[in-house]
Amino acid sequence: METLNHKEVINLLLQIAAMLIMARIFAEIARKLKQPAVVGEILAGIVLGPTILGYTMPEFQQYLFGSHEMANIALDGFVQISVVLLLFIAGLEVELQIVWSQGKNALKIAVASMVLPIIAGFVVAYAFPEFLGVNINDRIVASTFFGLAISITALAVVARVLMDLNLFKTQTGLLIIAAAMIIDVLGWIVFSVILSLSESGSGGLGVWPTIGLTLVFTMIMLTIGKGLINRILPWVNKKMAWPGGLLSLSLATCFLAASFTEFIGIHAIFGAFIFGVALGDSEYLTEKAKEILHQFINNIFAPIFFVSIGLKVNFIESFDLGVTGVIVVVGLLTKYFGAYFGGRMANVGRKESIIAGFGLSTRGSMDIILGLIALEYGLVSDSLFIGLVILALISSIASGPLMGWAGRLKI
Amino acid sequence: MYTKIALAIAFSPRIEALITEVKRLVLLFDSELVLIHVGIKTPELEKKLDDLLQRHGCDRLRIKVLWKEGKPVKMILKACKEENVDLLVAGALKREGLFKYYMGSVGRKIIRKAPCSVLTLIEPKVETSEFSKVVINGTQLEITPVVIEQGLEFSKTVKADQVSILNEIKMYGLQMGTASEDSEDEIAQTRRQLVQNEIDYVEQILQKLDKGNLRINIKVTGGKWAVELARFCEKTDADLLVVGDERKLNFFDRIFPHDLEELLSTLPCNLLIVKK
Repeated sequence: METLNHKEVINLLLQIAAMLIMARIFAEIARKLKQPAVVGEILAGIVLGPTILGYTMPEFQQYLFGSHEMANIALDGFVQISVVLLLFIAGLEVELQIVWSQGKNALKIAVASMVLPIIAGFVVAYAFPEFLGVNINDRIVASTFFGLAISITALAVVARVLMDLNLFKTQTGLLIIAAAMIIDVLGWIVFSVILSLSESGSGGLGVWPTIGLTLVFTMIMLTIGKGLINRILPWVNKKMAWPGGLLSLSLATCFLAASFTEFIGIHAIFGAFIFGVALGDSEYLTEKAKEILHQFINNIFAPIFFVSIGLKVNFIESFDLGVTGVIVVVGLLTKYFGAYFGGRMANVGRKESIIAGFGLSTRGSMDIILGLIALEYGLVSDSLFIGLVILALISSIASGPLMGWAGRLKI
Repeated sequence: MYTKIALAIAFSPRIEALITEVKRLVLLFDSELVLIHVGIKTPELEKKLDDLLQRHGCDRLRIKVLWKEGKPVKMILKACKEENVDLLVAGALKREGLFKYYMGSVGRKIIRKAPCSVLTLIEPKVETSEFSKVVINGTQLEITPVVIEQGLEFSKTVKADQVSILNEIKMYGLQMGTASEDSEDEIAQTRRQLVQNEIDYVEQILQKLDKGNLRINIKVTGGKWAVELARFCEKTDADLLVVGDERKLNFFDRIFPHDLEELLSTLPCNLLIVKK
């Protein structure tokens, strides 16, 4: 087995240390300004990447992130694992009970708030592929990808905002949370289907087998898989070290599920996500265990991923005001009105629908992962990806104040 | 509290125990009794029932016996509606096989579809069951104020010694995980606040109710309420668990069992399901 040499090890450790330190500093600043940590972490990446550090101290930046290829590959491994774990925790956050209890209303809001951005995003990207920077050779897939990326809600971020506004436990809060959970599940299913479309030309599984496999995998995981988890977890809790046994085995199973879905042609992160849903829904996974998983993933792996975004693209060189403007405007308006009309269709009050509209517009997690995958697959350009990141930043900064404002409306 | 109590009878070995149990409840609540039998009415069965009622000194004047023919679930539910029954008493459900679980069983359907509250006795005894330790689900749900009110009324009538109201903090893991962006003091404060919110919620409901001489304590837990309630009942050896039911049962509830379904599949103790 090839190993990193002395210098590469030092370089890798410095990279991770720099990423974690910068993420922490900026997350703390964000915290002081009452902003979600993810905003700080993304900005930390922009500072550490080619955009700022690469401009002001190019040699230092080059040494840190561009001098040792092997260290960079190792770092990429870390980032990949971080993405899988982020999806795992996103799955863990989905509580089917909350979804059921909110029932059709949440479903209507979720679907409406996804359909409108997906359609609008698709139309805009399909009509102006060159302007927006979607891959002209894979126009349908790339355009749908763009639509999907602007249709996702960041559950973790919106949960934080709702807690800060003291809205978490209210009917509106639970409705938003449930809708965001449904969006997550639908989003990832749609995502794996689109991805198969893209690969169908190059010897992938094809659309229908992928849709079938995705649904079968989801159903099996949530029924038989959950049944197995319910059998094994009590034993693990009782007989093994706690939380050591639970942590290592749940992560191991998460990686197994991820590698399985990657193997059958659906993206790895889908397996991690669905396993997270199944595990989170098990009554034997205590809330304490969830809290621990949240803490170490949110504070170690999530920052590594969000900082890594800034390392990949130059936010000044590739920035395009027109593209970003279109993405931000289309993204914010369609998501807001989709959720608002969904709420009205479900007979939710006007004020609550407005709050849900702003709440579900919160982005800054899964949407960025989607964008990044699209970037890596060559489906979208750097400037479009930057637009998505800026949309995430603006929406997660604005959603708190906007929801607070809507809450004070006298209608 | 209950003016009409119904008991669905089948001439099984447990009928005697169920009749003595229900007789005690009828006396305690000073209510009328409706006995529902789904099946063909024969002189032998009629005599058997008469003997049984006589042997246990039941007041025949306050008992109405209904003989119905047709599908058990449908007929029992129809009789409950027609007679304006307030409480339906049912014997326990045995643990069900996988097939039966997904396809449904008589007892489960009755419990979920009944128009009135349902008391499920897991071990009906001729010498009758005591309801000394009562556990009430206080988790923040729309129906909870009614559940607590009826739970307390029931506990007062059956002279319970101890009433515990158990509250679940919804999505505790997610909330605390999200709070991990804060400082240590703030996290501790969030944790305290989450617990306090639940206690305040129950206390607000209790304020408006007559508690009699009941000893009531409030417990707060993180986790799914159905599971936590089942665990708590087992741990404290509770005699009765009071929960609410406000939702219609559909097939998805069986594929992805939750809340009440999970309680029904474990039945940690006698169960009173309150309906609005």
